Amino acid sequence: MVLRMKQTPFFEKHTAYGARMVDFSGWQMPIQYTDGIVAEHLATRKHAGLFDVSHMGRFQVSGTDAPAFLRRTLTNDCDQLPIGQAHYTILANDTGGAIDDAFLYRLGQEDFLLVVNASNKDKDWQHLQAVVGSYDAVDLQDISESVAMLALQGPEAEVILQSLVTESTLPDPKRNALSQFKLCGIDVTAARTGYTGEPGCFELFLPAASAPVIWDKLIAAGAKPVGLGARDTLRLEAGLPLYGHELGIGKDENEIPIYVIQQAKFAVSFDDSGRDFIGRDALEKQAAARQRYKAGDFSDTTALPKVVRQVRLLDKGIARDGAVVYDQDKHVGWITSGTMVPYWEYELNAGDATLADSHAQRAIGLCMVDPSVTVGSTIEIDVRGRRLKAVIVARNLENRKGTQTYAIV
Amino acid sequence: MMIDADARYLQSHEWAKKEAGNVFTIGLSAYAVEQLGDIVYMELPQVGSEFKKADSVGVVESVKTAADLYTPISGKVIEVNEEIPDNPDVLKTDAYDKGWLVRIEASNPTEFEDLMDDGAYRKYLETDA
Repeated sequence: MVLRMKQTPFFEKHTAYGARMVDFSGWQMPIQYTDGIVAEHLATRKHAGLFDVSHMGRFQVSGTDAPAFLRRTLTNDCDQLPIGQAHYTILANDTGGAIDDAFLYRLGQEDFLLVVNASNKDKDWQHLQAVVGSYDAVDLQDISESVAMLALQGPEAEVILQSLVTESTLPDPKRNALSQFKLCGIDVTAARTGYTGEPGCFELFLPAASAPVIWDKLIAAGAKPVGLGARDTLRLEAGLPLYGHELGIGKDENEIPIYVIQQAKFAVSFDDSGRDFIGRDALEKQAAARQRYKAGDFSDTTALPKVVRQVRLLDKGIARDGAVVYDQDKHVGWITSGTMVPYWEYELNAGDATLADSHAQRAIGLCMVDPSVTVGSTIEIDVRGRRLKAVIVARNLENRKGTQTYAIV
Repeated sequence: MMIDADARYLQSHEWAKKEAGNVFTIGLSAYAVEQLGDIVYMELPQVGSEFKKADSVGVVESVKTAADLYTPISGKVIEVNEEIPDNPDVLKTDAYDKGWLVRIEASNPTEFEDLMDDGAYRKYLETDA
């Protein structure tokens, strides 16, 4: 048997732009274009990057029981999600691990769009199918093929997108806001969401058939195509988790509790005490542990043995996924994501950064460590037998004025 | 694809060039450099360390991956290109000259004859690599 690689509607666009295509979860996707990962990362931070994210799964959930179904299967509470908004959410299992992390977009009172990871799409679908049978009026549809998806990210994203709007308006200027409008005459849905840490961020849902036209228009308006390589360095610099690294199954072969990630507090809602969502009991214990750690109490780590923190290397070298982390001589965890990322050098004036034309690079990462290894701790990372010094940091990327980011070095 | 006719090659894309006496210069082929993408860091061996053919003598790191660097020739490291770890971009522009990595005094210089010459390496890239 030969597995056929799937192609997104932008496949020809990628090859035309000199993309190096790789197999990603059964999809042929661009890892980088001609200029390379470093240039694409930098272009997103200073201008605007255009990402084909059509490989991700898109499920439409509608019907009168849709809210009830989503309130059972997702950790976040869609009753708290207004129409025209999106939120981060997780498909949890009974033991408080993540089947997947996802974004839920509310298009109408009973009309939702759930965007999931490409690598987990089939698993998510089966899980949702197994639960949906208990609800009478839920229409669950996989619309991944008919609807394409692009991300436009960076300080120039809004100007570029605005220049192509032909009817109605962009979403309100606040994070996660959603609207439907026409772009070059084509109906699109867009939200101010993304995976780069950029405050200027949009994710677009558009009919697959007209998607390549929109790609061309966005490029002509100044967006630069960015592949999966820079998508990963951008999310890493922003400290965002990636399923398979910071969620899922850990290096120790154990399921990773959802509350290891700092972002869990935005993805899980306990507000409605009567809402019985999958994983609730386990997640309440994890959340309580996280509360205790915040107060400096590390006496009971049963529910949440590790937490994910951001690191910045002090010594030369690169710490990759799997490298063991030491505090003095104690094995306290391991790196979950790590590489060298580029950044624009800058001048700081009254808290605002002016990006220079020169760039440098630094080794950063995410690690999963004992909760007592807090921000400011110096750690050592074993890289091929050498111990590289690193420091746990609150963040590697700053976004002080809400328009542009800059590296904290 | 640029292949230097003076060099001989390993299947893992390292090259060796014969210098004076038993000294060989070692580097990474332009093909390998292109495949790795942006090279962001390199670890090279200490001068004085000794290796056998196909031993890992260092690591080349791109954004996406880390790859071992193997020596095509057994011997002792007598010089290392100190410029490279901080400026690996040189490999992109000049993989066979300014982008050299290590000089080795060979303990068994005839190993050079067993490596692929430029024609064989070109054929290897076209068919197997």
